[in-house]
Amino acid sequence: MLILGIETSCDETAAAVLEYKPLKKEVQFKIISNVISSQISIHRQYGGIIPEVAARAHIENILPVIKKSLKNIDLKRIDLIAVTQGPGLITSLLVGLETAKTLSYAFQKPLMGINHLQGHLAANFIEHEPKNIFPAISLIVSGGHTELGLIRKSGQYKKIGQTRDDAAGECFDKIAKLLNIGYPGGPAVSKMAKKINNKSNNICFPRPMLKTNDFDFSFSGLKTAVLYFVKENKNKLKKNKFIQNICAESQQAIIDVLIYKTIKASKKYKVKTVFLSGGVAANQELREQLKLNVCKLPNNVKFFVPSRNFCTDNAVMIAAAAALKFKNLTPIQKRKLKNNWQKIKVNPNLET
Amino acid sequence: MKTITKSEKQTLNLGKNFVLDLKGGEVIGLIGELGAGKTVFIKGLAQGLNIKNIITSPTFVLMKVYKAKGLIKHFCHVDAYRLKSARDLIDIGIKDYLNKKDAVTVIEWADQVKNILPKDKILVKIRFGKKENQRIFEIIK
Repeated sequence: MLILGIETSCDETAAAVLEYKPLKKEVQFKIISNVISSQISIHRQYGGIIPEVAARAHIENILPVIKKSLKNIDLKRIDLIAVTQGPGLITSLLVGLETAKTLSYAFQKPLMGINHLQGHLAANFIEHEPKNIFPAISLIVSGGHTELGLIRKSGQYKKIGQTRDDAAGECFDKIAKLLNIGYPGGPAVSKMAKKINNKSNNICFPRPMLKTNDFDFSFSGLKTAVLYFVKENKNKLKKNKFIQNICAESQQAIIDVLIYKTIKASKKYKVKTVFLSGGVAANQELREQLKLNVCKLPNNVKFFVPSRNFCTDNAVMIAAAAALKFKNLTPIQKRKLKNNWQKIKVNPNLET
Repeated sequence: MKTITKSEKQTLNLGKNFVLDLKGGEVIGLIGELGAGKTVFIKGLAQGLNIKNIITSPTFVLMKVYKAKGLIKHFCHVDAYRLKSARDLIDIGIKDYLNKKDAVTVIEWADQVKNILPKDKILVKIRFGKKENQRIFEIIK
């Protein structure tokens, strides 16, 4: 079956066509098209995401992006339209959802609303279909979310932990802003951190919530610790080495906490697999260090992380999530998808 | 009115007690640097309103709305950190909550969107004190 995916929850306008072959054994997905109109160049001058600008850009981008994704496929051949329903910015979500509804009605196509976070998780299944993977732990880390989930079997996701204040990606962004090294913060901080050869420096930032008896995170205090440190050492801010050391240590603090809680959850639930996804999963250090720690677990726990271009927001992952959801529907539920255009509403606070 | 808090817990309690004077329909603007304690104060407000949800930063989503029980039914948490003008906030639908009698709206980085704040707003300015965990709260009604 052919699925058209549409994603507009934050700063990317994206559309993709994904072919799903449930009967084939090896790879179940074939990417027909994957279009992302990145707005980073628009946002960079403001040091952040401007909703009015983002929403306007979505309106300008959405039709050309969808049209480009359908370049080699007639819309009439599409079997299912999948669109991000939430969580996200309401004005941005509306552009994608209303466009998807209109297409669904006009071309009489089934429509499915997808949770953006389930999309990130589904990105792990795009390039391979891992077998015998449950129970599994999923860590989703992005600019707006930091969430640990337990998947006992296919389609059964349960949130077991989340950030209590700032998301990991937001922490990167705010530290980058404090140091004035650019936006988006994640790549800026890791680029600076990479320049350090000798990892042993005298700076030590806190690893929040390591000792709590849960799977929650907190990154607000780390940001404040960096702020104090920068204030105390204002005279050193012109030294590149000093900035690089702060970046390396704050990145490591974030990674340490993410890894600690993920491994703790993996042990508790005796999982077979650990999935990492979300925009921050593009961070090379996090990918490598989490993989190393998962490999150390007993019983050959498997580790999966999507290719970096499927970590950041895209529409292929939305289509993939729809396919995995569709697989578990009854024939009656499948038939009802045709009328979904009348019912689906955006939900900016959608929970997993 | 000036209040000095010496710890995160005191800031949380300040927020919690702040709610006792609210009747609904208020707009609270917070002004203070990164790390000043805006989020902690807001967590206190939410606790005072008996909201059980975890209050997370709305920097990316910009606006989060929570349900509360009692006379105040909606708690609207806005973050203007990334905004340049009040127009941006109108576009995300903040006016649905600004004039509601059963809603309390709190706006972080209120200095970025001064034009949208009503005349009877409550401003809370937070500054760093001399000691590390000290914060000076100035409440202007």
